Amino acid sequence: MKGKLIRTIVLREWRTRVVKRSFLLGTLLTPLLSVGLIAASVLLTQGVDVHNVVLVEDAPGLITRQDAATGQYVPRCPGCFPERENLEYRFVREAPEDSVWKATGHTVLVEYDESVMQNKAGYLVYAKSPGVKAKRNIERDLSRALEHARVLGSTELDWEAYQRLKLDLTLYERESTATGREEGGGDEIRGGIGFMFSAILFVVLAVYGGMIMRSVVEEKSNHVVEVLVATIRPEELLLGKVIGVGAVALTQLMAWAILSTGSFALFQWVFDAGLIGDAGAVSAANEVPADLMTVMAQNKGLAVLLDIQWGVMVAGTVAFFIGGFLLYGSLYAAVGATVQSEQEGQGMVMAIIMPLMFAYIVGSSALGNPTLPIMVWLGWIPLTSPVMMLVRLATGVTWWEALLSWGLLMLTARFILGIAGRMYRLGVLHDGGRSGWKLWVHWIKGDDR
Amino acid sequence: MASALHIAELRKSYGKHCVLDGVNFDVPEGSIMGLLGPNGAGKSTLIRSIMGIVEPDAGEVRIGGQPWSRAQARRIGYLPEERGLYKDMKVGEQAVYFAQLKGMDRPDAVRSLKKWFERLEVDGWWNRKVSDISKGMAQKIQFICTVVHGPELLILDEPLSGFDPINARRIIEVIRSLASEGTSILLSTHDMPSVEKLCDHVVLLNQGRVVLRGASDRLREEGWNGLQEVAFRGNDLSFTNALGALAHLDGIEPTTAEGVRKAGIRLRDGVSPSAVLEVLQGQVEVQEFIKVRPTMESLFIRAVEVQEEASESKAS
Repeated sequence: MKGKLIRTIVLREWRTRVVKRSFLLGTLLTPLLSVGLIAASVLLTQGVDVHNVVLVEDAPGLITRQDAATGQYVPRCPGCFPERENLEYRFVREAPEDSVWKATGHTVLVEYDESVMQNKAGYLVYAKSPGVKAKRNIERDLSRALEHARVLGSTELDWEAYQRLKLDLTLYERESTATGREEGGGDEIRGGIGFMFSAILFVVLAVYGGMIMRSVVEEKSNHVVEVLVATIRPEELLLGKVIGVGAVALTQLMAWAILSTGSFALFQWVFDAGLIGDAGAVSAANEVPADLMTVMAQNKGLAVLLDIQWGVMVAGTVAFFIGGFLLYGSLYAAVGATVQSEQEGQGMVMAIIMPLMFAYIVGSSALGNPTLPIMVWLGWIPLTSPVMMLVRLATGVTWWEALLSWGLLMLTARFILGIAGRMYRLGVLHDGGRSGWKLWVHWIKGDDR
Repeated sequence: MASALHIAELRKSYGKHCVLDGVNFDVPEGSIMGLLGPNGAGKSTLIRSIMGIVEPDAGEVRIGGQPWSRAQARRIGYLPEERGLYKDMKVGEQAVYFAQLKGMDRPDAVRSLKKWFERLEVDGWWNRKVSDISKGMAQKIQFICTVVHGPELLILDEPLSGFDPINARRIIEVIRSLASEGTSILLSTHDMPSVEKLCDHVVLLNQGRVVLRGASDRLREEGWNGLQEVAFRGNDLSFTNALGALAHLDGIEPTTAEGVRKAGIRLRDGVSPSAVLEVLQGQVEVQEFIKVRPTMESLFIRAVEVQEEASESKAS
């Protein structure tokens, strides 16, 4: 009977939220929007870059002569201006009026003060921004060309020798383990992915926890609670609510996962079939038309998505969501039972959500260092583990450590559920009058004064 | 008569404040018992203790002869004073939910609810949202949710509040009909006319104690102070002279439109009503000669005053 009643509560909580136009709309739109964003970024980064024709004003030693055939000035260091996609350089002795360079097909003008060599600064003039990437490339190319000019102007250095002396060191990461050395690195990216999952969990816990609190406050204010607690034990009612609202959140997460996967698969099929995108795009490696995966792998930003261990992360998110929601959901319900209005509850919610927020902030600032003691500890502490353990799961953690952390979380959730149940039982019929922390302490002890 | 609800030595305190101080009474099977008492007498705490919402400090509650259990309490149809519905849910869906919480299966719940909706003339509202219906309509739905599972014991706290006179009469008829079918009812109310109309038993609480309990007729009989009312046509002086030393005259009301006068009298010791009637009929035209028993309201007020005087004298 007890199970049947809890199931009835769970079903009502679930049904009244899921069978709603706003829920269906949110559930359908979110994955479509996220896949749409990925699709848009793939399509927009494909062959649709603005072609920048940069007119560079001369600085001491930057250009040599005018090419008779083309009429263009030739840079003293042609190697300093390598061929770049969507970037073309032209040079001029003196920067013309804006209307002039614009009229001659240039999109960007680079000009300097006379003391350019001293203050190492110039101006990038444009009608339409060339973009961050183009600006970075222009800065890099011009720095190198000016460096070249300075070296040539020096009596003590020659460019070849200077180039030989210059050294750009690259460090490849290797992790030393019991079985030898393994390819390392990428912690920051993996941590970022884990952080993305923990951010989703944090938001879901906060949003759906708030939903539980509102539901409890509503039942108090519309007086339904008196009939409910006359039928079912308040502790069971609380459990039913937490499971019911948690099931709504899980339904939405699952729907998002399925719809996102489906939408992505559809986009991949359409893209690979050449129905959308740049049909002429080719893989740099083998000169064959590129499929979506290749295009994504070539794009540093999108390649991150291919690194995700989706299975592990989804399973971990679900597991830590269940524990985290039982724990935080019951706390939210207890707060709802002890306040008279939603506004009154909001203040207390901040205190409850603080540990999760702390883990979220620590997680975001220490993404690349998953073995920092604070990351390890917060991954163990049940109040912070739902957020922190997902960051750690992404960066690699032993299975027993993850399992033990989850076990601790579930045990704590069970304990908190008991305390919250007592507070809920005594608080839910408390209609104003005395309130405050002293009363809370009595309720936690089960003393119904 | 077997007891549908047995309360023995029930006690409950909140901190130092004693709310129930050894409450004892029985609700006989098939009866309608009025639970009366001034505000703060402990009625709500008593009801919540019966329903298992509040845990009593001591005492015993037996339902249908069985010791209290949550399963037994769940069988009770409980209509609290402060009641409500989920505003965003549809009426029918919500009623089914409450019936399921009472242990009914969905098909049984729907069947029973459809009958009740028809009986209380709300059958066209099944698919409407609660936020779209009137307060009176919502009250009817709440009443239906209380009785849908066919409980053997009903606890109704101010069941008529929020109803217009027509719907209140309909609910009173339903309550009477349920009682005649064998349902025992504990009715908590401040509405004395409905107590007079409905309750065959009453229990009066004050300051957490039972100050009066028993069958309504017996209590009114016991509380009778000898007052009789005589309705007559004729001369006041003739009436007073005829009454003579047989009875004490309390007063005579002004003549009604029909020319009838009403006098309150108390018979002297050893004088029978028939002797007085015989003497009066020679002098005036007697229309009615009735025993004026106290109202429940006057019994209520008297009992509360007596207990409070006793408490005060004890304290001083």
